[in-house]
Amino acid sequence: MSEPETSRPPEAIRPEVETMLALVRERYGSRLSPDELAGVRTAIEGIVQAAHALRAVRLGNGEEPGQAFAAYRAEP
Amino acid sequence: MAEQVVFASVRRLGELIRERRLSPVTLAETFLERLERLGPRYNAVVTVTRARALEQARRAEAEIAAGRYRGPLHGIPYGAKDLLATSGGIPTTWGAAPFRDRVFDFDATAIVKLEAAGAVLCAKLAMVELAGGMGYRQPNAAFTGPGVNPWSRDAWSGGSSSGSGSAVAAGLVPFAIGSETWGSILSPAGNCGVAGLRPTYGRVSRHGAMALCWTLDKLGPLALTADDCGLVLEAIAGRDPADPTTVDRPFRHGATAPGRPFHFGVLRGVTEGAEEAVRENFERSLAVLRQIGTVEEVALPDLPYDDITRTILFAEAASAFEDMIESGAIRGLTAPEDHYTAYARDAILAKDYVKALRLRGVMAREADRVLAPLDALVAPGRAGEAARLDGEVRSAIRGTARDVMGAVGNGAGLPAVAVPNGFGPRGLPTSLQFMGRAWEESTVLAAARAYQSRTDWHERHPADLT
Repeated sequence: MSEPETSRPPEAIRPEVETMLALVRERYGSRLSPDELAGVRTAIEGIVQAAHALRAVRLGNGEEPGQAFAAYRAEP
Repeated sequence: MAEQVVFASVRRLGELIRERRLSPVTLAETFLERLERLGPRYNAVVTVTRARALEQARRAEAEIAAGRYRGPLHGIPYGAKDLLATSGGIPTTWGAAPFRDRVFDFDATAIVKLEAAGAVLCAKLAMVELAGGMGYRQPNAAFTGPGVNPWSRDAWSGGSSSGSGSAVAAGLVPFAIGSETWGSILSPAGNCGVAGLRPTYGRVSRHGAMALCWTLDKLGPLALTADDCGLVLEAIAGRDPADPTTVDRPFRHGATAPGRPFHFGVLRGVTEGAEEAVRENFERSLAVLRQIGTVEEVALPDLPYDDITRTILFAEAASAFEDMIESGAIRGLTAPEDHYTAYARDAILAKDYVKALRLRGVMAREADRVLAPLDALVAPGRAGEAARLDGEVRSAIRGTARDVMGAVGNGAGLPAVAVPNGFGPRGLPTSLQFMGRAWEESTVLAAARAYQSRTDWHERHPADLT
């Protein structure tokens, strides 16, 4: 496990933000005003920053998600 | 009569009822009248459940008269956050205008358990729409209006269990049930100057509760004291086949402290960014805690805690409300930002969500390692006084504030209790939180009770409540 990095400068994440914003615009753009799209962009910036912080932490192959799945079988 | 019972603790009311010095019907009528008269002042109530309350109160009175006393909640009025399903034609709105007339035909498990304990459901309480999961930035984010703080009508009570906090603080109910995904019990408890308990994830069944985030959602009590929170938790805790995340770990609310000095930890830098009054009140609280134990500074490894919990919350909330988001039904919500912010969550990659879940496992282990030699981590419950009603809500969930205690506590599913510890310059309460290892509700409650036995903040109540 390595140490996380600090927030990346806005310029560094802009291409990823624009790509994600294009996805949102493609899916929902017809129902969003310019002001609302600007709000979505701000929210995406936060999501992308968080993703970079998560990706910066290196985990070993054996680190499983902290959420257990159990096989299901209905009780009689 | 009203003056004697309105701000009495659940424990005290229970004693009076058990000794048959207080009628459950009279008690219910007292709180129903306050809910109907004062509830609108604070936008605290969605539905007063008068008929159901009086039926339950009459039944309690008859049972107790016949010698069938069920326990300390028998005949005690309460309110439930309006995300808990209730039968009998009582609406369950999730605080959201599109659901204002929606009715379920069953009771949530927590409601069923409280009924079995003899408690009397008097109201469904207001909340931030969809428990705040759509990205709201302002107090006015519910079809019932912004939650108004009983300590100051220009301040917010929330959120998202806004009505649960204000109803207890204003003496509209002796206790309430709230829910927390990230901050939604501790925040209104702190803002309103009452006690709020976030149980360990899996301690209380969420069956029949609105799902915001399956791996973060918890239900818990708000009341005047930590002791009362323990009494309520004992009634609602336990395994429920209808909620597979619940576990079979009995919880018994202890009446005594551990019998040795407590060991408290304070995370390095935990007051950074907090308002001056919050820092001062926290230091005064530490002085009190040093009378009952030791206090040492501790540290967690440098991990992106807020990002871990935020990513999990956003991804799961986007899925939980996929229908509303995809259909555009979120346009019917009250806060304008709730009409569009959730669309951004399409930007969360599955790989990043899974990475957050993997990091959650690391976070849970590191938190437990730090907590193992301690009884509790202590910290300010909130970084500041309640937001102004016309102001913006600072939130770690949106990244406009930092909340390592909340990110770790909710991300790792750890119990915490918040109790009032003073006031800020606007006359609004501040709070102190105790967070413990998983399943250590008894320990954090014992610590909070010990703190409350040496302070009187919980005995102060808002003015202008007649």
